[in-house]
Amino acid sequence: MKANSMKHGLEIVLFSAALLTQTNLFGQAASGERAPARPSPAIDLSGYWSPAVNEDALERGGGSEIGDYAGFAINEAGRLWALSYDPSRVTLKHHQCDGYVAPYQMRAVGNFRFWEDRDPHNMQLVAIHIWAQTTEGFRTIWMDGRPHPPAWAPHTYQGFSTGRFVGDALMVNTTHLKQGWLRRNGLPESDQATLLEFIVRHGDHLVDTTVVTDPVFLTEQEVRSDDYFRQPSDHGSWLYACDDGEQIIGRAPDVVPNYPLGAQPYAKEYSQRYKIPLLSGIAGAPSMYPEFAAKLATTTDAEAAALLKPAPGPSPVSRAVDPEPLDGEIHVWPISGNVYMLLGDGGNIVVETGDQGPFIVDSGSGQLTDKVIEAIHKLSDKPIQFIVNTSFLPDRTGGNVKLHAAGNDPSLVGSFFSLQFRDAGAGATIIAHQNVDTRMVEAKFPGPGLPTDTFLNDRRRKYHNGNAIEIFHEPNAITDGDTIVHFRQADVIAAGDIFNTTQFPFIDIKDGGSVQGEINALNDILNRTVFLHEGQGGTMIVPGHGYLADEHEVVEYRDMMVIVRDRVRAMIKNGATLEQVKAARVTADYDTRYGANTGPWTTDMFVEAVYTSLKQAAK
Amino acid sequence: MTLPPKGDAESVPLNEQGQKAAQAWDPAKDEASGQQCKAYGAAAIVRRPGRMHITWQDDNTLKVEFDAGTQTRIFHFGAPEGKGGDWQGVSVANWDVPGTIMTRGSFGLQTFGPLDRGGALKVVTTKMKAGYLRKNGIPYSENAVMNEYFDRFDLPNGDSLLLVATEVTDPMYLSAPFWTSTHFKKQNDSTGWNPSSCSAK
Repeated sequence: MKANSMKHGLEIVLFSAALLTQTNLFGQAASGERAPARPSPAIDLSGYWSPAVNEDALERGGGSEIGDYAGFAINEAGRLWALSYDPSRVTLKHHQCDGYVAPYQMRAVGNFRFWEDRDPHNMQLVAIHIWAQTTEGFRTIWMDGRPHPPAWAPHTYQGFSTGRFVGDALMVNTTHLKQGWLRRNGLPESDQATLLEFIVRHGDHLVDTTVVTDPVFLTEQEVRSDDYFRQPSDHGSWLYACDDGEQIIGRAPDVVPNYPLGAQPYAKEYSQRYKIPLLSGIAGAPSMYPEFAAKLATTTDAEAAALLKPAPGPSPVSRAVDPEPLDGEIHVWPISGNVYMLLGDGGNIVVETGDQGPFIVDSGSGQLTDKVIEAIHKLSDKPIQFIVNTSFLPDRTGGNVKLHAAGNDPSLVGSFFSLQFRDAGAGATIIAHQNVDTRMVEAKFPGPGLPTDTFLNDRRRKYHNGNAIEIFHEPNAITDGDTIVHFRQADVIAAGDIFNTTQFPFIDIKDGGSVQGEINALNDILNRTVFLHEGQGGTMIVPGHGYLADEHEVVEYRDMMVIVRDRVRAMIKNGATLEQVKAARVTADYDTRYGANTGPWTTDMFVEAVYTSLKQAAK
Repeated sequence: MTLPPKGDAESVPLNEQGQKAAQAWDPAKDEASGQQCKAYGAAAIVRRPGRMHITWQDDNTLKVEFDAGTQTRIFHFGAPEGKGGDWQGVSVANWDVPGTIMTRGSFGLQTFGPLDRGGALKVVTTKMKAGYLRKNGIPYSENAVMNEYFDRFDLPNGDSLLLVATEVTDPMYLSAPFWTSTHFKKQNDSTGWNPSSCSAK
């Protein structure tokens, strides 16, 4: 047979090489997959594999230096995020056991084991599992055609992967990744990143090509490859024990090591050490292409230094996917045990069920309350007994009237309350901090939707449906009446609007919110979480808006809040005005994740709230 | 893109002789002696920043041109052709199709043979003139043998990537095979094609 009658994939083409690490390429969004003409048979990837670290040894070993971001198509946010990063951050308790996200995991040193999971009845391939020694990264690649979970499902370090064989490659599509590293020197990969992989095996040589698409931190796809060689036997060391502990005794809980924007003291160290232009490490996408050599020759370090700080001008907006469904339906997501998350009515709702009436946290915006009630009735045939409002805000209380009317509180019927109040027990009991009631009365909220059971202390508790439920007041967080609700047996915390995955915190200064209160509240959540494994899972956190989270997302959110506070506080100390603070773009590294220029909560409004709060605190 | 310092052989499994050779690197001497293409030989050319152009020269021959150093590799399907001894050596190519089910020693099993499933292009290169694995003088000898696998991946967005997985063995300078993998993205036209001369510096 003539060779070119079997051209396979090689046609007459012109390929451009990536530069530097030779592992960086680009393309457009890699979402979705085309159905193959016919399925390719499985390739056996099973066995023990070790990485062949014949390239990028520094990155994969001791770690690259600050300022070495060459070959990565990072945007301004990614570059500034990395330059603000202080490696001391890993001394923080909640970062000590961070796992590696899947793309970075596959570059880790340490051994890998691949094995198949087949249906014992028909031998169909159900899944391929990968265990990575470093950070005990455990990946499951579903091969049975199941769909990816909805946008509001939790994110994990390894994400959710599905695969199929295409030609001689295993093609893997991964979503629902946590925020992690593109490179361990602070170069971030966001929780909006997706991963496409092609794993090929040539004898005892395995190569995994990873294609990362990250709308938050990258302008083009990031392509890298990793080589592995087959090991004949089990090396016997697979664990990566980690428990967090105190690294710096006495450090205040609201400290997050970071460098001010434009003031990274080691930004030029990399270029100076290797006697290369400053631009070489920080240029972003151009550094992936051959033409970059000419650009390096014509760009001075002084010109390149402009990239070390935010560019003047308007801030970009979030490029994250809004995980909240907008289809007019209520969606139910089981969290743990008898606790569920309801989405779709403009704010997340938590429902706990059992042999007593449902216990609800927050009532949504009120636009779809009838459907909320219908969804709750599918989870429990008992009337709603308790509703907690985590704040007075409309997305927490909008459905109060109808939810209250749809329930009752049998603990009051027949009690001494019924001797005092004719309607005792009629309607669900609405629990909230007293300040919530005060704010709602001020706002002339309809009477039947007002809290009926308020408290002033820092902790309210109930044992209900088999859960010890604790309600903690978080003073002056986003308002003066915020609470979080901890279902202890299910190990679920409803955080209300103190935490969300969709926007900067809505700090309502006029209603008692404050920057420090918000930071304290986020830290209070973290004081109550226990991760299951390598910094993830375990205690689950329901945000006011966004996807179901665990402590990692809260940690990143807390870090962001502290870092922005530090920047604004430093500017205030130097006499900056609000307009100067806004012009400095103090949120530049977070704008593509949380920013907005329109709508009810813009980046400018957030910065103004931070500024105002800190000015008030300074008085 | 940036020339590493002399002696920087990070992660290359050089043996003692290889380390000595790396320390003896003298780019000026290479230039003066007309050896400026030592880092553009077959074992390193895909690592040079630049572009490559793949065409069928005839039914049994692939021609791979590189603008970096203006080099050309020839992949022969079937018997090797040429004497070698130059920068690109002699390359023998074949299609590596793992869809072929082995039946040796078995019975009653079906041999599927090659399926319509793509596969890799495997290229074995020998008889290369001694050169550099890295531009800073990390050596390979004329006894080096290189196995390469070319895999093409089509992305859902229409882009195509080419993965070149490379294994270089060299009894003279390496204590273990040297593995690298390199990526290329398919272009629709010749934009950026910029043939250049070899440079030792």
